[in-house]
Amino acid sequence: MSFAWKAAGMNYLQYSSIAARALRRVAKTELQAEIAKREGVAVKYAKWDSGKAGVSALVPNVETRPKAEN
Amino acid sequence: MSFVARAFKPATALARLTRQSARFYASETAAASTPAAGRLVVNFALPHAVVLKGTEVNQVDLSAVSGDLGILADHVPTIEQLKPGVIDIISDAGSAKYFVSGGFAIMNPNSVLNINAVEAFKLEDIDPQAVAANLAESQRLASSAKDEATKEAAAIEIELYESIQTALSAKSK
Repeated sequence: MSFAWKAAGMNYLQYSSIAARALRRVAKTELQAEIAKREGVAVKYAKWDSGKAGVSALVPNVETRPKAEN
Repeated sequence: MSFVARAFKPATALARLTRQSARFYASETAAASTPAAGRLVVNFALPHAVVLKGTEVNQVDLSAVSGDLGILADHVPTIEQLKPGVIDIISDAGSAKYFVSGGFAIMNPNSVLNINAVEAFKLEDIDPQAVAANLAESQRLASSAKDEATKEAAAIEIELYESIQTALSAKSK
């Protein structure tokens, strides 16, 4: 199966968080206060080699709205 | 007589052992969560909430990457990646429609369906005006964005918003 987001160099974590964020934006305003509490989730990863953690890096979020709106 | 009793003892012990192990396996397959024949049990979880836990339903309709599925009891075991779309949970009480952003549905061999999604809202909790506004904004971004990642992100959003609009218009009919 081929995915456009994969071809664009994205991984599934990025794809699913873009979709989740897009869906959160369109929930009714009375739910937005609750939603704001679970915004701003980030994933960090590090490659472990012979029992040692490598440099940890952030899976970057792809921003599609100016910061203030997110 | 005593000889006969003694001779039979090991045989009965062995019989009891086999019976117990047989009962063990039977109880394993008949786990507490296994529904009655013809019923489907749904577990539906989000990272921040449990939507359904062990709920007995009649049917679940969901849209997977491989196509739209209607799942009934005793469905063949499968793992499906969910598209942004509607999950329709049909029980005796009626149908409950959720819009999910994406995730996975795992159909187990014992009529238990596990659905994991990143984000889900009931269709009535979605604001159609916000959908239209955000769709326009994402479309603008898709045509104006310079880098590939932003363009693709906008395309993902457009697909999701269009799918919501389809779901909302189908509901109002």
